[in-house]
Amino acid sequence: MVLLRNLPTPTEGVRHEQAETTAVLDGQKLGCGTLYVAETRLSWFDGSGMGFSLDYPTIGLHAISRDVSAYPQEHLYVMVNGKLGDENEAEMAEKAPDDEEDDSISSGGDDDDEEGTITEIRFVPSDKAALDSMFSAMCECQALHPDPEDDDSDNDFEGEEYDVEEAEKHQIHGHADIPTFYTCDEGLSALTQEGQATLERLEGMLAQSVAQQYHMAGVRTEEANAEFEDGMEVDAAALEAGQFEDADVDHW
Amino acid sequence: MESQGNEPQPSGHGPAEVTSSLRERTIAENSMVILLQGLQGQVTTVDLKNESTARGRVVNVDAFMNIRLKDVLYRDRKAQLTRLQELFITGRNVRYVHIPDHIDIMKTIESQLAKIHRVRNFASQGGGRKEYTKKTK
Repeated sequence: MVLLRNLPTPTEGVRHEQAETTAVLDGQKLGCGTLYVAETRLSWFDGSGMGFSLDYPTIGLHAISRDVSAYPQEHLYVMVNGKLGDENEAEMAEKAPDDEEDDSISSGGDDDDEEGTITEIRFVPSDKAALDSMFSAMCECQALHPDPEDDDSDNDFEGEEYDVEEAEKHQIHGHADIPTFYTCDEGLSALTQEGQATLERLEGMLAQSVAQQYHMAGVRTEEANAEFEDGMEVDAAALEAGQFEDADVDHW
Repeated sequence: MESQGNEPQPSGHGPAEVTSSLRERTIAENSMVILLQGLQGQVTTVDLKNESTARGRVVNVDAFMNIRLKDVLYRDRKAQLTRLQELFITGRNVRYVHIPDHIDIMKTIESQLAKIHRVRNFASQGGGRKEYTKKTK
């Protein structure tokens, strides 16, 4: 994490942007700026373009605080594992005086967690109603960064001890890592979002190819092209305008 | 990438909605996270690795053990209490999740598994496209 550097504002994958947001870092107000909740990192920039960014793996938790007796303003609270980067520790108040040896944020290491060094950041938007969206956006982005160091070997899908797998193995041809594959028997609900998009695309193609019969007079094949430009090259080529003008309707 | 889990049902009983992500369902089936997912709607305490604790109602637990709580009482390492309306704890920072005493652990796991299997067997029960019906049926 770098503090108050001149960084480019994120443009892609920004799930939420909140202007007029004050950032308070370990009790120190950094000024008013804009919070960007992007899929790659969380960042905040003040009016002059200076700011900081956080990588999601370094964030231990985040919360909405509406208890004004605890902190006078409703805000988004973010707890970062570890201390700030090397750049500007002089001004920053140390939260945990007993943990001084580690000076840098390691986003992957467990060391910081064990030592318990944390940085507390509060994002105080002028629009308190935005807190729910800010919080939800952070939840979504955090979920995009699961812990790569998860030592849980159960996530390794090689195991065969799994009952339902035994039953389903008979329908699967040649795939050993059962849990990551579903036969078409599994149905639509087992599809991921990409799978569903692919299915819709294929179904669209089927629908189009049926409709093709009625356009054999050469009227319109261009409309079909747009749907298939994302990967079904063979069929897209076949749907070039005019290619089927002389085809018999019966061929379909 | 990974899709977020479905929004939880407001009721405190019954199996939690299953995520639409195949990867997350598979992880859940193969680990004890599935028990935590069955705690949706329950009030429980989560101990974090940094010695703090959070007590609140479980809104959602995903396959990576990220825990979302609401109406939380958060106690930091210095035993200072703070109320938080919503709290999201990154799975990596969770040390323990307390299972409420009244929870029947086996039943919770079984009903969560059943939920996942219902999703998986959706087509063979007559829903979905006929082309995907199992040959054996």
